[in-house]
Amino acid sequence: MTQQRTMTEAGTTLPVITKTITQEKINAYADAGGDHNPLHLDEAFAAETQFGGTIAHGLLVLAYISEMLTEAFGEAWLASGKLKIRFRAPARPGDTVTTSGSVISAEGGRIVCEIGCRNADGEVLIDGTAELRS
Amino acid sequence: MTSLAALAKGHEFPAATFELTNDWTDAYIAAVEDEAVGRVGAEFVPPMAVAALSVRALLENASLPPGSLHAGQELAFSSAVRRGDRLTANAHIISRGERQGAVLMSIELDVDRGEDDVMTGRATIAFPADGGSL
Repeated sequence: MTQQRTMTEAGTTLPVITKTITQEKINAYADAGGDHNPLHLDEAFAAETQFGGTIAHGLLVLAYISEMLTEAFGEAWLASGKLKIRFRAPARPGDTVTTSGSVISAEGGRIVCEIGCRNADGEVLIDGTAELRS
Repeated sequence: MTSLAALAKGHEFPAATFELTNDWTDAYIAAVEDEAVGRVGAEFVPPMAVAALSVRALLENASLPPGSLHAGQELAFSSAVRRGDRLTANAHIISRGERQGAVLMSIELDVDRGEDDVMTGRATIAFPADGGSL
């Protein structure tokens, strides 16, 4: 609860979540999420696409951002969160993905955050905004 | 199974009901390595799991064209979800357009727990218009 109170001021930086993508993690997400698109799982197929290899599911990478928001805001995020994001670039096996977020406004019972994540080269993979009730 | 590529704007997917079982929830949390939700409460399920299961339900009725990409996502959660919750997802295609050899399709999702709305969302996906790769 103390942590949530400190997250309600503009300019506050959210906790950073860092994960390394592996093909095994992508496979596990495909099984849980039921999305067996060959772009994520079939190296031969993916090699012929613009990506030149398999990429992680967008919702897998987005789950890391949701974890960051859960860490920052607890049940308030689970019960009232809103996300609006664009997938800018894919996460690939071997990539280390680091989330980022900061509170940009906290007024009228709503907290608005700028959120995103990058790979180790600093390339933006996801960017957007999140909102929740404070 | 029908491919998403064959579906037009306005198409409504059959409603799908699913349960957030302990086994599935554990598999999802392991796949996304969410260490935060358990600290909020052991009964809670990450909100992104609802999105993942909704997509899974959708893919049981229409297959993603190979090489499909998740381009954007909007999600709004209006109630925290817990293990054992039984949810119903409804989805329909709200737009479909073609640009530079790619089909851009937006699908609106609504998930409820009986009387309670749990999540609304909109996913934008892109896939090759000619069946090749993007």
